Amino acid sequence: MFGALADYLYLAAAYVRFNLKAHLEYRGAFISQVVSMFINDGAWVFFWILFFRRFPVLHGWTVTDVIALWAVVTAGFGLAFGIMGNAFQLAASIAQGEIDVWLLQPRAVLPHMLLGRSAPSAWGDALFGFVVYLGFVRPDLMHAVVFVFMSLIVAVVFIGFAVLCGSLSFFIGHAGALADQWRNALISFSTYPPTLFQGAVKVLLYTAIPAGFVSYLPVETLRSMSPLDALMCVGGAFLVLAAGVGAFYGGLRRYESGNLVSMNG
Amino acid sequence: MKTRWLKTVSKYTWIGYTAARSELTYSAANLSRIIFMTTVLYVFMRLWSVVYDGKGVESLGGLTEKQMLWYLVATESIIMSMPRLWYEVDQDVRTGALAVQLIRPLSYTAAQFGRSSGERLVRFTMNFVMGSLVASLFAGPIAFSAAGLSMFVLVLPMAFIIDFFGAMLVGLCAFWLESTQGIALIYSRLMMLLGGLMVPLEVYPDSVQPILRALPFAAILNAPGRMLVAPESARFVQCLELQAVCLVVYGFAVFAMHRYALRRVFVNGG
Repeated sequence: MFGALADYLYLAAAYVRFNLKAHLEYRGAFISQVVSMFINDGAWVFFWILFFRRFPVLHGWTVTDVIALWAVVTAGFGLAFGIMGNAFQLAASIAQGEIDVWLLQPRAVLPHMLLGRSAPSAWGDALFGFVVYLGFVRPDLMHAVVFVFMSLIVAVVFIGFAVLCGSLSFFIGHAGALADQWRNALISFSTYPPTLFQGAVKVLLYTAIPAGFVSYLPVETLRSMSPLDALMCVGGAFLVLAAGVGAFYGGLRRYESGNLVSMNG
Repeated sequence: MKTRWLKTVSKYTWIGYTAARSELTYSAANLSRIIFMTTVLYVFMRLWSVVYDGKGVESLGGLTEKQMLWYLVATESIIMSMPRLWYEVDQDVRTGALAVQLIRPLSYTAAQFGRSSGERLVRFTMNFVMGSLVASLFAGPIAFSAAGLSMFVLVLPMAFIIDFFGAMLVGLCAFWLESTQGIALIYSRLMMLLGGLMVPLEVYPDSVQPILRALPFAAILNAPGRMLVAPESARFVQCLELQAVCLVVYGFAVFAMHRYALRRVFVNGG
């Protein structure tokens, strides 16, 4: 089992290397997308700094907590889609019958397909998350290690959720717009302090839109450094991933080829 | 002379009309935009509700909690109704489709204006109606005056035209850049932060307010939002002045950039 895991990690590293080389062929476009995403995220953090200057505390949340929240979400999002950028296109690929090419490869279909592309702007998110956390929050070594771990866990949630949304195409046909909206809802809710939401909405944020596992619990873990909070994050992340993987392989039985002649290159 | 002018106007109006009809057929895209807008309005309603409760005040920046939500309805409806014009211009330049457009008896910029205005009108109407329903449901209605609504209706088209020029400028950068995606993202964030998308400019520190009010972003978002919820004659005149200046400056910039960019078009046949 560990051999297979190491083998897939090696494959992931190879794909990341190849995808980055492909992006660097259009160096100007790649760098501009990374820099602009960095500035985009910075604009949001700047907004929150201005906001907290005017209204210092939001139900117990301070500006440092919101910065930590943005750092962990952007780092996790960036790692997820920088490495597995094809998760964005999953719904469209399924609906158009384009996954034949991945079915023919001697690897598990889902991880191999997800690794096939990298979203260039996601590297700007990842860079932003780590730079902002180290620069603004100034963590000690223990917090820095937990932050890296939490970023990986958040990346797992993002990938699991993207696969779950994209797999809807197996069941309802063209689910691209719905998948986009569902993913956008996750991003929207996960970038605001959780104390804003109460009651039924809070339940929704740990189930249908798992923002709780993307930002609230990871930030709580960074605040409390509690192993229990960390365990809940890990449990939630793998639950979302399992739901996504289950939906994908369950739906794959219904997949119909588009008979397209396509190649990867 | 008059007939020629009328023919020109009707040509671009027809482009706008067909774009509007086409926009109405994409019900899934319209529905998803409405869902997204409802989500955003809900989140901001919660945010401002917590802020008003926490501060224990009746009004912030001259707006009550209800007015704040209605202000967001106006600004979010405006921002979410803008078609991805910069992307279309970028693609026309990059794929060479621009060469085909240029041989038609149409001004490229005017045709884009007609098309994006048609799409925008449909999107804005849907967003605004849906946003108003959400605001009425979550916060309740506010008192609108006929004068205020008239001011809003006068300021709004000017805001759309300035926004069009801004998007056109971003798209035309494709003549010089490998990708305009980055610059478009930064432009939209500047609009969000400096235009008063989520926070009215009156809530910003006093020292930066005069600068923000003089920027074109304020003419696109803050001016119509403010006219809808808290209209004042003096501010209306200021808004119109700012919009007039922005129209002239942006319009000239688009004209000059378009002319200069066309010199870089090479048609190789094929």
